[in-house]
Amino acid sequence: MPDLENPFQETLIQRHRAESCTVVIFGATGDLTHRKLIPALYNLAVDGDLPPQFKVVGFARRDKPDDVFRAELEESNKKNSRQGHDAALWSSFGQSIHYHQSEFQDVEGYKSLKTLLDSFDKERGAPANRLFYLASAPEFFDQIMLKLRESGLNEGAGDKFSRVVCEKPFGKDLKTAQHLNEVVSQTFHEKDTYRIDHYLGKETAQNIMVLRFANLMFEPLWNSRYIDHVEITCSENLGMEGGRGGYYDTAGALRDMVQNHLFQLLSLVAMEPPTGLSADAVRDEKVKVIRSLRRWRGAKEVAENVIRAQYTAGSVDGVDRVGYRQEDRVNPQSNTESYVALRLYVDTWRWQGVPFYIRMGKQLPKKATEISIHFKNPPQIPFATETMNGTSNSLVIRIQPDEGISMGMLSKTPGQSLLLQSVKMDFRYSSSFGKASPEAYERLLLDAMSGDATLFARRDEVENAWTFIDEIEHAWHNEGEQPPMCEYPAGSWGPKEADELLHADGRAWRRL
Amino acid sequence: MSNLSDSSLAILGQEVPLGRVDKALKELWGADAARTRASLMNIAVYSEDPDSLERNTQLLGEITREHSCRGLLILALPDQTPPQARAWITAHCQLYGGHKSVCSEQISFVLAGGKADQVRNIVFAHLDSDLPLVFCWQGDLTENFDERLYSVIDMLFVDSSTWCKPETDFDRLQFAISQNTARFRVYDLSWLRSHSLRTALATCFQSKLALEQLPLLRRMEITHASGHRVAALLMVAWVAVRLKCTLDICQKGLCLITAEGQRIEVLVTDNGAGDPLQGIFMHSDAANISVTRVSGSQYAKARVEIGDHLSEEMLPADLGSDGELIGSQLARLGGQSLYFQMVPMLRGML
Repeated sequence: MPDLENPFQETLIQRHRAESCTVVIFGATGDLTHRKLIPALYNLAVDGDLPPQFKVVGFARRDKPDDVFRAELEESNKKNSRQGHDAALWSSFGQSIHYHQSEFQDVEGYKSLKTLLDSFDKERGAPANRLFYLASAPEFFDQIMLKLRESGLNEGAGDKFSRVVCEKPFGKDLKTAQHLNEVVSQTFHEKDTYRIDHYLGKETAQNIMVLRFANLMFEPLWNSRYIDHVEITCSENLGMEGGRGGYYDTAGALRDMVQNHLFQLLSLVAMEPPTGLSADAVRDEKVKVIRSLRRWRGAKEVAENVIRAQYTAGSVDGVDRVGYRQEDRVNPQSNTESYVALRLYVDTWRWQGVPFYIRMGKQLPKKATEISIHFKNPPQIPFATETMNGTSNSLVIRIQPDEGISMGMLSKTPGQSLLLQSVKMDFRYSSSFGKASPEAYERLLLDAMSGDATLFARRDEVENAWTFIDEIEHAWHNEGEQPPMCEYPAGSWGPKEADELLHADGRAWRRL
Repeated sequence: MSNLSDSSLAILGQEVPLGRVDKALKELWGADAARTRASLMNIAVYSEDPDSLERNTQLLGEITREHSCRGLLILALPDQTPPQARAWITAHCQLYGGHKSVCSEQISFVLAGGKADQVRNIVFAHLDSDLPLVFCWQGDLTENFDERLYSVIDMLFVDSSTWCKPETDFDRLQFAISQNTARFRVYDLSWLRSHSLRTALATCFQSKLALEQLPLLRRMEITHASGHRVAALLMVAWVAVRLKCTLDICQKGLCLITAEGQRIEVLVTDNGAGDPLQGIFMHSDAANISVTRVSGSQYAKARVEIGDHLSEEMLPADLGSDGELIGSQLARLGGQSLYFQMVPMLRGML
């Protein structure tokens, strides 16, 4: 047994199994840690997917002993765990959780963290991998990176890795993103840098590539010859609840959702087949899509292709809502958009002339994220069009909340006369697969621990996306003739100008 | 058919004439708009045990919680006369999101005098088209397990622990799998029962410290419940294959011999009642490594004690019921090459 390979670790599991690892969470007392990260790790423990001798260390400023931290996390896990809470399992899992008090800018705190991590390795009898998760507010990223470097924690112990996972927002424009990337790259290699976008951890987002490249019936049609247009909709029925207005008012819909989540979905829909399934092979193709987005020259072209808006007072789910500018922690003169609609073109051979319409908004009628592919009409329909009740073929990929895929087609209605009706073939994850999908964070944390970066954004993806977004932001805020800020009542499907964006092309937004 | 009581047949739902099964199903779904029929596969459960109807209806109900399917429940009574075939339909429904009822249909057949050709015809005639066929064969692989039938099977579940003549059954299985027309993968519940225990054992050997003890192992014990000796022996065979050991059966019992000539004594202990597989213990002079079921829990404790070093972890334990085992395997898929590597060694221990 010269190479000391574990002979029992064979084909028991299909995915790559992570080796012993310690996860250090910066900002461990925050909402993300309580609601998402710890429940995700706990659920990995339920499924037996955590690496052996796993440890998690919460790093934060407030002083508290391990047992208080564990008790707080146990309470939130009871509320947030996808697979419930088992006291026996928690008693074992909870023992792997530790708390480390330090200011983010105090190098001594990092040195004592290193001592703690070394003591875990000693306990294990061998060094383990280390994963640093930045769940703190973004303004601390610089400091944390710098101190990790100064304390030597950016270097793995022995032959083990040291990696960093960065939560969004990764910058607020190209300049800040580049700065962050520089800071990160001075501390960690790009291969050890994992920029998280939880949309990519969702089952349906992962299924886009399978749908396209594992089913021959779709890919031959997946081009400008057969596809009329593509819509990506992300609607939220919430506003600025829970004090979110403070952050949101500095970002807006374009920066908060389009630059990252919706561009990732766009890339998956529009990318060419990758040469393999390695992280870089997939990301190479995705970044080409972002690079191929047609650029606009000046505020006028931006205004012709991008609609921004704020909600005014209205009603959602029977509850009265105030307007955006009246929301808690929002500037009453705010010029930040709560809604954005874009008409994009991907200037590649495959997509020449096919518009991609993207819309994202707050206080819309319901919560839904969906991609719809709208196929062209047949060249000639040998039926009278007045007998048709419905439209041409469409394929809808529902990302959330009701994950699934549906296909729309025309069918003859039963009876003596020749009437055509639009019908829908529906695939729902919840009906077809009784087992609930893992939370996105479960998948992403496991991938980061086992070294699969496919579902994480690469530096060039992030920077190219910001380059594109910055041009719109510049037109909105810095040019002489700024495009107007439109309005829509809370509870509606957005401003009429967004409808006109499609009407001008002879189309209409899909009814959700 | 006279042996079957009305109450045991009542659980099968509505009796329908054999030639009207499809029509009756159509009526069943057409009558209730609130229910959605879903099907990703055909799952047939075959038994020759007259007492199996209720148990197998529950088994299908359990599988359909996570795997929508058309369920075919077949009770063949080859020796019963006069020949007679009866059919029933029912549905297993699950509520999703508190309102939507998603249902899998079950068609049950009781075939008095059911020989191979009748069983085959019943299966062929009632498959949901284009969907894979998962076949759960209960008990020994009898004459009814014939080539024309298994040539349409995609996944075959058997349970070698329940076989009365395991040597004959393994021969039949290996013969079937060697046929050109056979394209099914075999899953032995007896083997699947140890999946989590094996995963936990692999976890114990993730560290260099533990791996260094492997060539020094002297003793191994596997404890099991009555009726699950084959599952325990499959574990022994697995360890032997993974460590590239040969098997030695002497008067003292079982022994594994490593490539370096080290002897590992093997003890397989029947603990009576309890979980099918209850623990695996490995010992060298310096190390005690074990995985044991935690009583009354869904977890197993993996314990590694090497000199002063001690680590303990809780990991998922093996699933209790056949329905859960089959369901988890359908979700996991995976190959069978390892299983067939172990069968010759298992044969040597039977």
